[in-house]
Amino acid sequence: MTAIARLLDDFGRRRRPLRSLGASGQLGYGIPTPAFERGLASAPDMIGVDMGSIDIGPAYLGSGKMAPTRVGAKRDLRKVLRAARRLDIPLIVGSAGSAGARPHLEQTLQIVREIAHEDGLAFRMAVVAADVSRGELRQAIAAGRVRPMDTMPPLTEADVEAASHVVGQLGLEAFRRALEADVDVVVLGRACDTGIFASIPAMLRFPAGISMHMAKIIECASLCCIPGGRDTILGVLDDHGFELESMAPNRRATPSSVAAHSLYEQADPYEVREPSGRADLRHVTYRAIDDRRTRVEGATFEAAARLTLKLEGASKLGHRALLIAGAADPRFIERHEAIFAEVSRIVRELVCEDAVEDYRLGFRLYGVDGVRSWAEPPAQMPREAFVMGECIAPSPERAEEVIRTTKQYLLHHGYEGRLSTAGNLAFPFTPPEVLIGEAYRFNVFHLMDVDDMARLFPVEVETLS
Amino acid sequence: MRLHSMAKVIRSKNAGPCLLTLDIMLPDAATFAHVVARVGSLRAQVAQRYRLSENQVTVLPYEPALAVKVTLPREIVSGDVGDRDVYGAQQHVPLLDIEL
Repeated sequence: MTAIARLLDDFGRRRRPLRSLGASGQLGYGIPTPAFERGLASAPDMIGVDMGSIDIGPAYLGSGKMAPTRVGAKRDLRKVLRAARRLDIPLIVGSAGSAGARPHLEQTLQIVREIAHEDGLAFRMAVVAADVSRGELRQAIAAGRVRPMDTMPPLTEADVEAASHVVGQLGLEAFRRALEADVDVVVLGRACDTGIFASIPAMLRFPAGISMHMAKIIECASLCCIPGGRDTILGVLDDHGFELESMAPNRRATPSSVAAHSLYEQADPYEVREPSGRADLRHVTYRAIDDRRTRVEGATFEAAARLTLKLEGASKLGHRALLIAGAADPRFIERHEAIFAEVSRIVRELVCEDAVEDYRLGFRLYGVDGVRSWAEPPAQMPREAFVMGECIAPSPERAEEVIRTTKQYLLHHGYEGRLSTAGNLAFPFTPPEVLIGEAYRFNVFHLMDVDDMARLFPVEVETLS
Repeated sequence: MRLHSMAKVIRSKNAGPCLLTLDIMLPDAATFAHVVARVGSLRAQVAQRYRLSENQVTVLPYEPALAVKVTLPREIVSGDVGDRDVYGAQQHVPLLDIEL
């Protein structure tokens, strides 16, 4: 009997609260063992982990590389996989490999297979990839079934061609289909984090609103506590609400800390969205059970009129090279804007003598405008500043050519009023130019109407022994 | 009073790659009520400091956490050319000395 079959069978005989363990908010960055072990000793019914986020920027989705190291991901996956098999409970992993496209999913599955082989674990695994093909996207655009999110422009066929990967955020429906394939382990590509913890409750017919609300909180592990942190959390769900308890004794889930969690990285704290609908949090109540546990009730679910998939895609901009330097001369710092403009012009004249201007060169002066583009200049210029030059060009060679030329001419630029005629920059090391790899941008962040999720995102089952 | 001396948390983060969401968490119901009574002024000052029009700024009081949430469009989509803060975690500073 598989882990999910055993759980369903147990609930079939006796309905009781469901105990879900949110092991880690971002798998691959370490799961503190004491809290995780305490969680395992609390009779959990399932373990869930999220690996993903869009907040890490477009490079991972675009390049197919994982955000955590392979070593970190393997260490954490081993920890949760061994625990789930030891307790014979389902393990659910969402947004495999951080950005959740096919290459990230494959790297994650390869790690899972290695662990199974090395540790002699046997289990059935269901996998759902989240990639959306160019053909499907083109058809959906033509049929008027794709809309921009927030400030994005409408999606074009050119965007679809340019994107190296496009994924859809799978919902609890996809997790549920994976679980219904009668398995022990579920691994999904890009997915809504709520699906990880709301799918088993949906199969057991717990109310959808409160299940989704709990799922949204425990996917971040103990972040909803004071002090917030990465330690494992236990969510205990019944037919009227849920109770939260961090598995780290110093972390307290209080009514206000739990309520505040709804603000985190969300534009609307009163709702949780996923493809099939939204949980409405307007009438939620938070009540302390004791000083470490809070009970939450009152979220309601509103089914959407049609299924919508949130699409994410990233396209390659080119190759990025940096110049890393410092400056302390007050006249250089004072006149940096004019200096950067003059040097950019000099560099362009040199590197475009027999080539087109096929690159972008920019500067940031940390201490003045490195972190944001301020409405006003600072009241006083800093004593020292960090100079970062950035070039994005079609090839690594071109990016290096531009940034190395920039270094030379910025170092020696004879700006108006210059006193320090031997050099304008302090290099912390040489070479001060570094090639940091491919640069990407998000060119897809849209909603797509979908009729049949199962056709677009079929479940694949694999037996490991 | 200025926001930094009233609030217990003032923070910013992305809400998706196109939006920035700023949370102002207040220590008690009285301070929360003080800020909520001045959301018009808050919106106007935020718009000016972030160089936006007022209708681009959403201000939403969230009573369960005694917080006021401000959501803005990002100047540049997260990670795109010229972006300076991919996670959006350091964009709260213009809020600190808003007078309410």
